[in-house]
Amino acid sequence: MTVENVDKPVETSSFAQPTRVQRIVDHLKREWQIYAMLIPLVIWLLLFLYKPMYGLQIAFKDYSIFRGITASPWIGFEHFHTLFGSEQFVRALRNTFIISFYTLVFGFPMPILLALMFNEVLNQWFRKSTQTIVYLPHFISSVIIAGIVITAFSPSAGIVNTVLGWFGADPIYFLTKPEWFRPIFIGTGIWQEAGFQSIVYLAAIAGVSPTLYESAVVDGASRWQMMWKITIPSILPTILIMLIIRIGNLLEVSFEMIILLYQPATYETADVVNTFIYRQGLQSGQYDFAAAAGLFNAVIAFILVMGANSISKRYSRTSLW
Amino acid sequence: MAGVKLESIVKRYGAVQVVHGINLDVDEKEFVVLVGPSGCGKSTTLRMIAGLEEISDGQLTIDTRVMNRVAPKDRDVAMVFQNYALYPHLNVADNIAFGLRIRKESKDKIAASIKEVSGILGLTDYLDRRPADLSGGQRQRVAMGRAIVRDPKVFLFDEPLSNLDAKLRTQMRAEIKRLHKRLGATSIYVTHDQVEAMTLADRIVVMNDGRIEQLGTPMELFLNPANTFVASFLGSPPMNLVKATLGPGENGPTAHFAGQSMPLAPLDALQNRDGDEVIVGIRPEYVDVATAEDATQVQVNLELVETLGSEALLHATLAGDPFVIKAETQGNAAYLQKVTGFTIKPEMLRVFDAATGHAVPGQDRQAA
Ligand SMILES: Nc1ncnc2c1ncn2[C@@H]1O[C@H](COP(=O)(O)OP(=O)(O)OP(=O)(O)O)[C@@H](O)[C@H]1O
Ligand SMILES: [Mg+2]
Repeated sequence: MTVENVDKPVETSSFAQPTRVQRIVDHLKREWQIYAMLIPLVIWLLLFLYKPMYGLQIAFKDYSIFRGITASPWIGFEHFHTLFGSEQFVRALRNTFIISFYTLVFGFPMPILLALMFNEVLNQWFRKSTQTIVYLPHFISSVIIAGIVITAFSPSAGIVNTVLGWFGADPIYFLTKPEWFRPIFIGTGIWQEAGFQSIVYLAAIAGVSPTLYESAVVDGASRWQMMWKITIPSILPTILIMLIIRIGNLLEVSFEMIILLYQPATYETADVVNTFIYRQGLQSGQYDFAAAAGLFNAVIAFILVMGANSISKRYSRTSLW
Repeated sequence: MAGVKLESIVKRYGAVQVVHGINLDVDEKEFVVLVGPSGCGKSTTLRMIAGLEEISDGQLTIDTRVMNRVAPKDRDVAMVFQNYALYPHLNVADNIAFGLRIRKESKDKIAASIKEVSGILGLTDYLDRRPADLSGGQRQRVAMGRAIVRDPKVFLFDEPLSNLDAKLRTQMRAEIKRLHKRLGATSIYVTHDQVEAMTLADRIVVMNDGRIEQLGTPMELFLNPANTFVASFLGSPPMNLVKATLGPGENGPTAHFAGQSMPLAPLDALQNRDGDEVIVGIRPEYVDVATAEDATQVQVNLELVETLGSEALLHATLAGDPFVIKAETQGNAAYLQKVTGFTIKPEMLRVFDAATGHAVPGQDRQAA
């Protein structure tokens, strides 16, 4: 018996293997069409997200539009000092977190609940019409939505006060009351988007193999048990991905809606970082100061996305990247 | 344990009727296999028994109780699906325990059942794994375990082995057979693989187009197919069917075809029917091959010899139609290449009426 033919692990074979660069070139030659499709998006990213980053430096400069970005002198973290010394900014920061938190707590589960409920509706006609009704507000412009909300809560003709009137209550001017701003804002957000967001979950539910349910039916599961033991675990990865995205965007309070709904009387609870930036930057022309606030917001958001992603990766094997 | 009784079971989807009145009496502890070509209504029938499809007409009885309107969970049946239907988010132990948890069995009982079942199926080492981390055969076993653990009155299987490769299928087939021996549970098993049907079944139900073509033990069906459909469905390769005309011969009725003839058994039903069209069924295993030097009875044109090991399949044509012969290879591989015809004993043939496709009466053979 000879031992020459026994396979030994070889460090380097005598056959020429393609180099890393050659592999990439081969890959690009084969798949260039797919990369070509990426080009418009890359251009968009460069133009609208990367080029403006150049202007971020004004957060550290005493910027004036007459001197231009390069000629304005560096002043270090002075704007940030001012920012944290500003009672308005700290209030805006606090409001951002509070509104975001409530939006997450009340707004995030809504589309999931809706999707689960739609899934249980057996009558196709009823299901389709209710789905259409809840998707609809998404397609209406925020300005009109705000108009509807303002009208509904108006003290004179609003439906809310009319109904309250039937029970003998005095009319309340909801939109001037700081304590009512957050519930109204968060409720509006849910009304506008929950239906549309439920589509993602409905798609995930549709992907669950029907035999899982059939098998459970034969095993004796009720619809309720099937929802808890099959549907929800099956869409959990989708829920987690959506949660990561949501936490990443936590500070992106939909500030158009806030601008449309708030007024000085409710700044106390309604003013968020983005509306603060809007007022400082665009209305008062303090671009450098507003840029500093925006940069701060972005850094926090970045930390939130990274944090949410790594937590999810660790505990559920689901992550965005 | 309990029997299952189907009486004139009908299934309609809207105006389309896909199952046309099935009558079947499955005895307690019996293993019945439903076999038939794709789309013949096997799954539909099984799903009606499980309660996953409504029964359009007829009556289903399990263990003396009429089940037509009973919910699946109260029928006390367990079903194994073709794609296993394992819960991807649960590990093997939780998959097996699913049915018991649903039924709110005690923790101790569940633990004991998991232990017992995983022991029977050789899954003890995999209890913590998710289905995605199992091989096809292991997944299949988990699916079986989930059914066994419920200890149901009736087991239903819908093509449980068809996602496995040939070798594993043979192995699992034997395992299912062993399990049935051990548990003695009433089982209804759907397959389109006639080998599975022949090897597993106490009784086979051959279905075609929503109807039962024939019902009997594997050997009954193999020896005495009631019609040309069953004849061409069971056996591998299946029975050769040769169109012929009845005519006179030296020893009673004779089949004439393409200038050749073959004596038939002297059945009463074949007397005085000269000129009638028949179909003669010839099992590939039952012929004795012959070469030009031998006295051959029927000539064929040999086209190809496929050697399978101890046996060979001879692909030939007879009167222009394909004709397959199965012969022993042992010591005559060269001889098989020269085959020009065959002889066969008249009593080994099976004669069918060409008009109806039904077997001519009086020729049934006893299973040895
Ligand atoms: N929901 C449905 N609506 C209309 N026709 C259906 C429906 N489900 C099944 N059928 C029809 O019923 C017939 C029987 O289907 P079934 O699934 O029972 O076949 P099968 O014998 O199990 O076939 P296979 O071996 O391919 O699984 C088929 O012709 C099929 O097209
Ligand atoms: Mg089927």
